[in-house]
Amino acid sequence: MSAPLFSVEGLAKRFGERVLFDGARLELEAGSGYVLTGANGTGKTTLLRIVAGLEPSEEGRLAFRAQASLVSDYPEAWRREVVYVHQQPYLFGTTIEKNLEYGLARRGVPRSEREARVREALAWAGLTERREVPPHKLSDGERQRAALARAKVLDPTLLLLDEPTANLDGDARKQVLELVTALCIENHTVVVASHDPEIIRLAILNRLCVADRRIEADD
Amino acid sequence: MDLFEPTRQAFHLLLAGDPQLWRIIWLSLWVSVLAIALMAPPCIVFGFVLAKRQFAGQRAVVVLLQALLSFPTVVIGLVIYLLLSRRGPLGAFELLFTPWAIMIGYMVIALPILVVFTVSAVQGADPRVYETARSLGAQRPRAALTTLWEVRFAVMAGIVNAFGRVISEVGCALLVGGNIAGITRNIPTAIALETSKGEFAQGIALGFVLIAVAIGINVALAWLQGRGGLE
Repeated sequence: MSAPLFSVEGLAKRFGERVLFDGARLELEAGSGYVLTGANGTGKTTLLRIVAGLEPSEEGRLAFRAQASLVSDYPEAWRREVVYVHQQPYLFGTTIEKNLEYGLARRGVPRSEREARVREALAWAGLTERREVPPHKLSDGERQRAALARAKVLDPTLLLLDEPTANLDGDARKQVLELVTALCIENHTVVVASHDPEIIRLAILNRLCVADRRIEADD
Repeated sequence: MDLFEPTRQAFHLLLAGDPQLWRIIWLSLWVSVLAIALMAPPCIVFGFVLAKRQFAGQRAVVVLLQALLSFPTVVIGLVIYLLLSRRGPLGAFELLFTPWAIMIGYMVIALPILVVFTVSAVQGADPRVYETARSLGAQRPRAALTTLWEVRFAVMAGIVNAFGRVISEVGCALLVGGNIAGITRNIPTAIALETSKGEFAQGIALGFVLIAVAIGINVALAWLQGRGGLE
């Protein structure tokens, strides 16, 4: 059996007296999709943030493409391949187009290629007509789609989505749901933390559950 | 007291391009602009680090800087005077009673304003800004720049505030500059001198310039905020 794309071993995380994880482990296979469930406050968001290198923890070892690291010493190079999208994404105070270009520019992608990839991602998210609109003029659904497009344009090896359909309803939720499904199908390794029954029911996703300070497969 | 005649004379001096008056205005402007331009980058970086990094004594540093905001500028002038005077540790540079001495004073006065405004702006920034930048692949310095860009109007308010404070400052400029005509006489020290002599016209003219500068800077800031998409 091949080594997992990303693994977490012996994870311990506490907030004051509250212990979220104690010796938790997680393995993510390349090209697989996962939905992470669990009651509120069990640590779904914290786990995604630890995997993204945004949250320190007391103990824990990570491995990405067989390269090992301590959680406390998250390698800078991994940030180019692991992208995290907040539950309520933050879009920089510029146009949607510039938001999508941001990560590509950080990766040194030439301008002409950047423009082409941004155009493609905007079309994917149905935001071509809104490309020059500043974020404060977008609806919640458009903001979420823009954030998904901003992550997708980077073609990340591992994509972490935190409650992408929370706070959305009606058409906005449906559109975001379609994009999340598309991302899972497109051979990305995706982890979606969600309470949304439609996401949890997606057949292409493996179910993981955070409970009792551990992460368990939830069949 | 008749205000009309000195005001008329003031406009006449300004519009006639009185060289003595314009030399005073020019000195005030370049010394103030240069002081802020030199201090703003390091103070903004320091303010960002102070806001973001946890270290022992961090709170004490912030409280000290906040205290310095209300520090009497004449005392700052006195300290710089002692440092730059012939017998002082920096006396060999012979900077006392030159525009450079005033500029050093202005830099010290501007420091806490620039740092405290930046700390406040960065602490008030949405924490997702920095995290989003990092998650999209930005290195720490770039993520810091992105955060500062997102709160740029609050940081610029600090720069405007610092500029307003130094260009209208009298005590320090008087002590370390000496108010020497044609060399270190700037707008506030000239206003103080002319008023004490009963020569109100030049004082009023220079007062108009200070007010115009203040209004001009704030209009420019408001215009930039508008361009930034804020409503």
